[in-house]
Amino acid sequence: MINTGRKHSVHVVKYRWVWMILTSILLIPGIIAMIYSSVTYSNHAPLKVGIDYTGGTILQYGLEQKLENSDVTKTRESLESIGVENPYIQILNVNNAQQENTKSNINSIISIRTKFISEKSDEADKITEQLKKDYTNPELISVSSVGPTMGKELFKNSLIAVALAFLGIIAYLSFRFRFDYALAAILGIFHDVLFVVGIFSILGLLYNVQIDGLFITAILTVIGFSVHDTIVVFDRIRENLRYYSKKMSFGEIVDASVNQTLTRSINTSLTTLITLFALYFWGGVTTRDFVLAMILGIAIGTYSSIFFCSMLIDFWNDKSKQPVSA
Amino acid sequence: MKNKILMFWFIVAVVIVSSILIFVKPTKLGLDLVGGSRLILEAETTDTIAKITPDVMSRLQFAIEQRVNKLGVAETVVQQVGEKRLLIEIPNVTDLKEAKAFIGETAQLEFKREGKLPDGTPTWESTGLTGRDLSKSILSTDSSGQWVVSLEFNSEGAKKFAELTKELVGQQMAIFFDGELQSAPRVNEAIYGGKAQISGGESGFAYEEAERMVNLLNAGALPVPAKIVEENTVGPTLGADSVAKSKKAGIIGLSAVMLFMILFYRVPGIIADIALVIYSLILFALFKTIPVTLTLAGIAGFILSIGMAVDANILIFERTKEELRAGRNLFTAINSGFDRAFTSIFDSNMTTVITCTILYLLGTSIVKGFALTLALGVAVSMFSAITVTKNFMHLIFGTGELKHPGLFGLRKDEIGQSYEAVETKREKARFGILD
Repeated sequence: MINTGRKHSVHVVKYRWVWMILTSILLIPGIIAMIYSSVTYSNHAPLKVGIDYTGGTILQYGLEQKLENSDVTKTRESLESIGVENPYIQILNVNNAQQENTKSNINSIISIRTKFISEKSDEADKITEQLKKDYTNPELISVSSVGPTMGKELFKNSLIAVALAFLGIIAYLSFRFRFDYALAAILGIFHDVLFVVGIFSILGLLYNVQIDGLFITAILTVIGFSVHDTIVVFDRIRENLRYYSKKMSFGEIVDASVNQTLTRSINTSLTTLITLFALYFWGGVTTRDFVLAMILGIAIGTYSSIFFCSMLIDFWNDKSKQPVSA
Repeated sequence: MKNKILMFWFIVAVVIVSSILIFVKPTKLGLDLVGGSRLILEAETTDTIAKITPDVMSRLQFAIEQRVNKLGVAETVVQQVGEKRLLIEIPNVTDLKEAKAFIGETAQLEFKREGKLPDGTPTWESTGLTGRDLSKSILSTDSSGQWVVSLEFNSEGAKKFAELTKELVGQQMAIFFDGELQSAPRVNEAIYGGKAQISGGESGFAYEEAERMVNLLNAGALPVPAKIVEENTVGPTLGADSVAKSKKAGIIGLSAVMLFMILFYRVPGIIADIALVIYSLILFALFKTIPVTLTLAGIAGFILSIGMAVDANILIFERTKEELRAGRNLFTAINSGFDRAFTSIFDSNMTTVITCTILYLLGTSIVKGFALTLALGVAVSMFSAITVTKNFMHLIFGTGELKHPGLFGLRKDEIGQSYEAVETKREKARFGILD
């Protein structure tokens, strides 16, 4: 037995089934939400996607006054009366406590999503005019517009990039470790990404949260972190195998390695989560969903590297050894 | 020990150079932080140009650059992305709608002659004389005080124009700008000398109208029409707000992380914090020197790389603590702690670099910014977390036995209790273990 100077606080191998069940509990609600979304949404996407991937225009106006939720309906009706088709309205309230250091006196942001407005059309001006009637001094603070063909292309390119990143990671890990370690790391990434996407699918259904270009960046960050975490554990397993493979079973080595790296895994995630929480509470309103995606991903990434990935390689090792012992 | 002191001064020099660079060079902030417009323009084929060739694209880019420069805004960017798209960045634009209209106008000037369709209805036929035959255009007034656009043809254009007017004596010649009939004067005699005027028909041109036309003609027509397929505009207020908030959040987050490191790792924690500050200085100096344009996604990459830099230190300290628990002396514990942590730091950082490279090559501009800052961060963290921390640890703790375990956040009774790693002879030599 490797003496780690303290009792093992987690038992990956012994309680294997516990971690399998826990993983399922974490993932299943999200998967259900994704299936439900794919069936019910008109574009059959598992998530509520923003204009980056569907095409469309978002106009954001800053207002001095505080807005109520009833303003959403009011604004929608007002815009529909001037012929804007299916506008999607969202209201972001800017926390006053965050305002001290900034010069702006914007208290609410009203965000209007419509179909793609081309440069030739004056629909954006019409919307601005209409809002000027309804509110005092709305200030147009941001416009983003993505053409319909562009959206599909962005989506395709993001997927290609992520797929290639996966292949690169598998190749490197197979070279430095073993193919089954690489596979476990990739499954770990899948696990983490599935969890975050699942939660955002649920948030999309419940609170209309939409994913945008930044969401892909958040997912990439989660992937980076997830592999990072997993490698640290695997590296320890690799090292311990070198010294102890004759004295201990593979399962014991996995358990010991996880416990040896446990403090590090938790501390690293904690420090990153500290920065992210700071960004969540004190950062800008517009990046809040982005930060939330990273918080969820990093928390689940720590879980998966400790329990999920190590459990997998132990499980496979058991399976591959069975014919020999039988 | 001599090497260690040399290394220390090298680190000091790097810090000084970085600080000077940070002080001297301006920070390049992305449009989502300073406010401005990012447009993507897509070239469209026409009847005459059925394929967008690289040559067409470079002419389109040139024409668009001319126009963007005419907006009188500093630090604009026009660059080709993909096969048929241009990326245009305009910071701090005052009248975006006007700017967009100005950029998107094809500005095709065409001279046409009378003709007839097969069924007999009169129409205008192309003559082959277009805006490409111009050398320049000037805003001026005619004898009655109306605003007119004076045209000067280049030598070939002058020849064509002379022949055309000779042919058309007694007939009307029409001038079309972007498909719109501007005027259709009757040609009284052949015009030599290569000069002509466009008047705004019966009502005449308004000043702005004529000026705009002159500007567009001088900037050159677009070889093919182009439309805006993507736009991202952020007002200056929102940008400033994002910067102020990111700064505040960054400072709070970093301070909390530093506090955590000191509470958990004690003296090594302080060293890690110093290494982290040095890391930030070097990275910012690099951002400014390269220069890397900082966007919101780029800031995310930066924060993640801080996480990874701290992680390297945590890995090292955890290993060092294990070695100390096993009863090693300080010098050996620090050395073997670093050495054992190195493989996992190296492998995990390599996968990050692989991912970043792929994303940088394939990603959209948002993703590119993220990948670049993260990759740079990881590279710098390999230096700061390993070289800087190791150097300071050795300088501060020296080679003796660990007399005050509290300095590492260890209890006395933990020492000599645990972890019996079996080293090979080679490793013993490398870590300086004496049996």
